[in-house]
Amino acid sequence: MTHWSRVAATVVGLLLLGTVLASCGSAPVAQNWPGLTVAEGNVYVISGIPQKVFILDAETGRQKGTFVPQEETRGVVYWSPVTLGGGLAFVGFAEDGKDTAGLYAFDPETGEELWHVPAASLIIGAPAYAEGMVYFGSSDGILHAVDVQARRESTTFSFRSEEAIWASPLVREGRVYVAGMDHFVYCLDAQSGRVLWKTQVGGAMAARPLWHDGTLYVGAFDGQVYALDAETGTLLDGFHFQAGNWIWSEPLMADGRLYVTSLDGKLYALDPATGEVIPPYPYDSHEIDGKKNVLRAGPVQAGGYIIVATESGYVVAVEEGERRWTWPGGLPTAGVLTTPVVAGDTLYIALMNGQVQALEAETGLTLPGWPFEPPSESK
Amino acid sequence: MGITDIWTVLILRPMINAMLGLYAVLGHQFWLAIVVFTVIIRGLMTPLMLPQQRSAKKMQELQPKLQELQKKYGKDKERLAQEQMKLYREAGVNPMGGCLPMLIQLPIWLGLYQSIIQSLGHQPLQLLNLSSNIYPWLNDLLGIWSAVPLNRYFLGMDLALTPQQLGGLTYALPVLVAFTSYLQSKMTVPSSGGDGQAASMNQSMTLMMPLMFGFFSLNFSTGLSFYFIVSNIIGIVTQGFISGWEGLQFWKGMSFSGLLGGGGAKPAPSKPKPPTQQPPVDSQPSTGQKGTQSGSKKRKKKRRRKR
Repeated sequence: MTHWSRVAATVVGLLLLGTVLASCGSAPVAQNWPGLTVAEGNVYVISGIPQKVFILDAETGRQKGTFVPQEETRGVVYWSPVTLGGGLAFVGFAEDGKDTAGLYAFDPETGEELWHVPAASLIIGAPAYAEGMVYFGSSDGILHAVDVQARRESTTFSFRSEEAIWASPLVREGRVYVAGMDHFVYCLDAQSGRVLWKTQVGGAMAARPLWHDGTLYVGAFDGQVYALDAETGTLLDGFHFQAGNWIWSEPLMADGRLYVTSLDGKLYALDPATGEVIPPYPYDSHEIDGKKNVLRAGPVQAGGYIIVATESGYVVAVEEGERRWTWPGGLPTAGVLTTPVVAGDTLYIALMNGQVQALEAETGLTLPGWPFEPPSESK
Repeated sequence: MGITDIWTVLILRPMINAMLGLYAVLGHQFWLAIVVFTVIIRGLMTPLMLPQQRSAKKMQELQPKLQELQKKYGKDKERLAQEQMKLYREAGVNPMGGCLPMLIQLPIWLGLYQSIIQSLGHQPLQLLNLSSNIYPWLNDLLGIWSAVPLNRYFLGMDLALTPQQLGGLTYALPVLVAFTSYLQSKMTVPSSGGDGQAASMNQSMTLMMPLMFGFFSLNFSTGLSFYFIVSNIIGIVTQGFISGWEGLQFWKGMSFSGLLGGGGAKPAPSKPKPPTQQPPVDSQPSTGQKGTQSGSKKRKKKRRRKR
């Protein structure tokens, strides 16, 4: 190698070195879309830089408090959405390379940290509260059960799967249903974690199953929706649906139809018995601007419409396969990956740029006092 | 279409799909996919790398001549540069020839790093990006969607994480990367510099580049270390077949001051050949050349005295 090529190599190497060093000292970066929860008159959203849980008045958008774990955060951080139960708020938090991962309990009005239970890995899905217990999955495949009164993990509950658990668990009638990244749907005893049944499907699952009338519906990364008997785990005969890309959100049951969004950008309305698409669906979000749109966020029902939000920042209300109103995002950084939340006639949206919008569900117009922008010092 | 889209369409997406395709056909072993992918990449780059490696050999052979020029025109920098260029031209060596493979490898490193991170995504946003980068026809052919999340473990080591995150024995990987890079440098760098400055620079680079790659490996996913190690080993073997294996005897003549760039870390000298059997400007160490030349001058002086 010659003198000049060495010089060029040095320059290239130093550029690379600079990139690495620059990334080492940068502000914390989130690796998940913002969690959004509306409960008891408050909006809980993960926002800002460095990220925090912002507690907002659901009516006015006024900031009431924040929660952040006491440890200083400098690296890549991961938050689960907030869950309320037993008068407390719960959130999963982790920071890359630190032993801060765990479930944090805080005051739902002030954000004051009350206690936390450590976990060995990232918590992606929202915790689920039921009868004094909080259940949450982690990326090491463990499903944790925390006794809220004792402020520690239950000593009787134990479950671990082969892969990460990113989906929020569904707790119902003494059972915990978990969709795993290991392609299995599990039904566990809520007290012991004992596996009551498990059923393998064709892809990884990162969203909570939907329970309806004794049937579990769950979307998977192979683009299929699976319907299982909640009692036995048996796959329903005659139900088949295949989308054009992964399904990463919880289905919605509304007006006797099963609504599903897919990363292929389409909203499907399915016959819950057969999985057949009901015309005039699917609604193709590509029609909004002629570009490819991704629907990571799940569908919600509000104002008489089925509402979906796109990765490119549009929120659209759909009725019988037709778009009725559109809320324009317009900013490249303001996409929506978080499933909107409906409370009464209001639709709350968390954008990737940290903003929270509150829209009138019937018209798609922004309500007075909104949007919420995280304070500039934390933006 | 922005620069990011061009990068994604031309570099990242093909790489991700190549990795995923290899993963699917190689028994769902991602480490094996990286190894085979590296071999394929090196194979594809052979037409670019071979001239560089041959050029390195020629450069080694030109060192004595370059030293002669340095002696002759050392004070006239302009003339020296002209003569050096002339020498390069006559020998068919392009002094900038080493830059092209280096520049071509750069996007491959970056693309591979990104494709490893995305393919092995252990964070939601990474997996979301992956879904948009999988070719539908590849999924139809090999059922890639069902293979997600990929098996990212090799001997209990998570290939998506960095040695700093994993700790323990994984720190051996950056060391291996640095060591194999060092060996490759030793085999490529001319056995002695043309002039003091160039020699010193070559010496520093032989040490600096491996250290830099070792540092990168410390901060990047261990999967990328696999690429570096396999790629370096292939480079060592091909260079060995082209210009011999002397560079591997790196410990000969090594000294601490040499490691610090003081010129002490000289490569193992090739076995000296009798001057009568070899033209003075061939690939002999420069010190030997000097000795031969001064000996020849003394003999000429003796002959003049006799006359």
